[in-house]
Amino acid sequence: MQVAVVWAGGELARFREVVADYPTPVQVIGVGNDIDAFLVARQSAGTTPDVAILPRPGLVVEYARRGWLSEVTPADNYTAPAGMADLLTVDRRRYGVWTKAAYKSLFWHFPSMLDEPPRTWAALVALTRQLGARHRAGAGPAPLAIGAADGWVLTDWFENVLADVAGADLYEGLASGQADWRDPPVGYALDRLAELWSVQGAFPGGGRRALLTQFEESIIQVVHHRDAVMVFEADFVDAVVARFRRGSEPPSTFRFPGARVASQPLIVGGDAAVAFAGSTGGVELVRWLSEAAAFRPWLDAGGYLSPNLAVPLSNYRDPLRRQLADELRAAEKVQFDLSDRLPGTFTGTDGVGIWRIMQDFFMDVTDGVTAREAVRRATGQLAEEARTAGGGR
Amino acid sequence: MSRAPLLGELAVLDDVGPPRRGRAYPAAGITWALLTPAVLLLGGLLAWPVLRTAQASVTTDGRWVGAEHYRAAFSAPGTGAVVGRTLLWALLVPTVVTVLGYLLAAASRRSQEGWLVRFILVVPTALPLVVTGVTFRLLYDPDPQRGLATLLLARLTGRPPEQVPQLLGPDLVTVAVMSAFVWAWVGLAMLVFRAALDAVPTGLVDAVRAFGGTRRDVLWDAQWRPLLLRTVAVVFALVAVGTSRTFDLILVMTPGSVRDEASVLSLRIWQTSGATTTGEGAALGVIWLVAVTAGMLVVALFVRQAWPPPQQPAGTAVGAPPPRRAVRLLAAGAAVAWLLPLGVLAATSLQNPVRAATGSWWSGSPSLDSYEVVLTSAELWRSLGFTIVLATLVTAAVLGVALLAAYPLAWLTGPAAQATGLVLMAAVVVPVQVIAGPLNEVLGLALSSGTARGAALVHIALGVPFAVLVLRNSFADLPAEQVRGARFGGRHWWGTLRRLARHNRTAVVAVAVLEFVQVWNDLVVGLLFSGPDAAPLGLFLAGQTRGFVAGSGTLAAGCVLASILPVLVFVLARRQVVAGLVAGGVR
Repeated sequence: MQVAVVWAGGELARFREVVADYPTPVQVIGVGNDIDAFLVARQSAGTTPDVAILPRPGLVVEYARRGWLSEVTPADNYTAPAGMADLLTVDRRRYGVWTKAAYKSLFWHFPSMLDEPPRTWAALVALTRQLGARHRAGAGPAPLAIGAADGWVLTDWFENVLADVAGADLYEGLASGQADWRDPPVGYALDRLAELWSVQGAFPGGGRRALLTQFEESIIQVVHHRDAVMVFEADFVDAVVARFRRGSEPPSTFRFPGARVASQPLIVGGDAAVAFAGSTGGVELVRWLSEAAAFRPWLDAGGYLSPNLAVPLSNYRDPLRRQLADELRAAEKVQFDLSDRLPGTFTGTDGVGIWRIMQDFFMDVTDGVTAREAVRRATGQLAEEARTAGGGR
Repeated sequence: MSRAPLLGELAVLDDVGPPRRGRAYPAAGITWALLTPAVLLLGGLLAWPVLRTAQASVTTDGRWVGAEHYRAAFSAPGTGAVVGRTLLWALLVPTVVTVLGYLLAAASRRSQEGWLVRFILVVPTALPLVVTGVTFRLLYDPDPQRGLATLLLARLTGRPPEQVPQLLGPDLVTVAVMSAFVWAWVGLAMLVFRAALDAVPTGLVDAVRAFGGTRRDVLWDAQWRPLLLRTVAVVFALVAVGTSRTFDLILVMTPGSVRDEASVLSLRIWQTSGATTTGEGAALGVIWLVAVTAGMLVVALFVRQAWPPPQQPAGTAVGAPPPRRAVRLLAAGAAVAWLLPLGVLAATSLQNPVRAATGSWWSGSPSLDSYEVVLTSAELWRSLGFTIVLATLVTAAVLGVALLAAYPLAWLTGPAAQATGLVLMAAVVVPVQVIAGPLNEVLGLALSSGTARGAALVHIALGVPFAVLVLRNSFADLPAEQVRGARFGGRHWWGTLRRLARHNRTAVVAVAVLEFVQVWNDLVVGLLFSGPDAAPLGLFLAGQTRGFVAGSGTLAAGCVLASILPVLVFVLARRQVVAGLVAGGVR
């Protein structure tokens, strides 16, 4: 039995522990980020693995449509949050189960540097302006660190704001290719980002420097150098914090603020397990992975969030994950990471697709281009990219 | 038989007609058997994928669409800039490398510390480009606490670090990548020029001087006209073809936000196609292929077999005046400048991982923590072991296949010899990104797509044309009596071949070293074709550049470890390598 996974390092080791409990021996191969190319090559060679863990639901749908996958049935108690469950089905048939989740609506900061977290978007902007002015006067750290060299950081920002200003229908429509990227709410979302990102002194070293700052470095700026007060990203930030934090103060988090205190967006990402056509053992393994008990090694290690709501809250050891798991339960509906659902090259990678478009937009708004012009350019590019990527690869 | 170097060109005086060919031929029946492995490899893994790419560029799912993909590729935003940048690379960078290579060869030739300068300059040549990329990204880091270049610029301009021009920023990133490339290639150019200058008959220089010639006259009449013109052509072409390797550098050096500003055709094709075949990618690929091949052929016709055999350098001239002070300063300055990036890499690797990510390499106390982290990771050892096995097996296979094929090819004369030469030359320059999709299809048929076996096959196919070219030329250049001896001494064709190979040790060593270092230093083949069983070193290191700053300590340590073997091999065998390079034409 062979499983190809996207993970490396610690995550890969965790997953090996997971499948060690499986009755038959399982060979786990870590393929890295380019799992798509790997599986396409394997498919053409006729040597596909039994099971693969895919980083994007878009791939699950793509493979299912090509007839590469077997239909799977999850364990009885498996419950994914609304908004995630139906992403792995094609024509009402289920082709995958979620194995790991990422909570992508968190700001991280030290309480000693920021005692009162902003609870609405307006408050965040006001705070950024105030701290930004102080920073420019040389009297304090910049308000925000941002890893704009990694396009996915910017798309995560965009998705949170979009989920807040646009209805669920539009969000869904953009993801599935039905809606038009020139619709006004997309523009509103970009306007909002422009409002925040264009604040003078918002980022340490300015926008130009932020575009050369990668995700990990942006966290180092907050937790090591204390050059910035807040950094936005997912729950997995804490792995970087653990390596680079200076001093004994633990960082705290607050949720991405929305227009009103009551409405906060919740964006999640996740990895899904699929079984390849012709492998009955693979279908069994996928079903087994969807049982709540299969997540135990991840829980023991701490720092991981299960997409399976059947995992009891009390099983989480680290308090942050317990709180996030609770929020996943409480949320009426979560939105899945939009860029991970886009087709073909639109989904983005370094220099390509929506990553590139958001970086261009970031460059524009931090470089003095008017918000209006920057938004016009970005929506035009998004619509064009959606059109050309629509045909798929 | 007497051989006399005449104006740097070898004249074989006891031969008539097409010189130096037609003596080593095997029996006709065996010829095809000898050629079969090479033909199969080149046909299946190069020629067929090229044809398939051409087909994909004008069809969609087998349906004829004419120039649609070409139009789409060219109307995609930025394509014009990408093509322009690729051209700039192919013209500007070789010019700079050629000029610098010549100056440094001349400057380091006769001074006493010349060997040190040459040694320092040759080391970067042997480094994997991934390592070069890491080195320069460290040097150019936008944070003045880590990037020495940024700090110096801030000091020199007196501006705050935020306002200093960013070397990795959108405006200068291409210049930054080019500088890394020049750093890596000047050593090779210098070695070739040095071989050429050494081969210039000293009598000629003396003659020009005796007739009252000035320095300029010496340069013009005794060096440029007899030899340097061709050497310049060789070096220029060598580097121009080499610029298609910028792919590795761009991938490693550029953060995602400026990748488009540095993009060249190879990168664009990879971005639009990856390891599959798409119409647009194929269209760009065909254009690139045509341009590269055409450029190559022009140079090949120009240079054609004009190089003197390298086995008899004339030795250092006696009594020549030592170079002027300015020239020696140039050599010393270059040595320091070339040493600096190596120092940055070494110093960063000697910081502990947290310190390397957060502080300056020049202020922290050295520690071996980063090495400890790297050396205790099973991944590095797996990767190292795999790369050693891969490089050794590929080298052996390439040598075997190429020796078999070179033997019958060496007896060809006239147009047939030239035609095979051109075909091989064209095969040498096929950029692998262009044919990645079809190659994977072929590998799929052999059940090796996405496996180490597949990657090894691709390496062999890419290595064979050059190896055949070098070996064929050196077989054909063998003196008549050696060939005769081999033919009488060996009872069977393989006995003859073995004897001939023994006479050609230089070429065999050159091919082996170049192939080994090439596979060892590779990134792109690993990226496109290797499987999950093990990642070759280049891929292993490139994968770690994702979180560049956070991982810079361990990354630098890994880079140092990965560079030891190729540098050692290359430095030890540099003479043979240069001889092989110039004998084989151009890579």
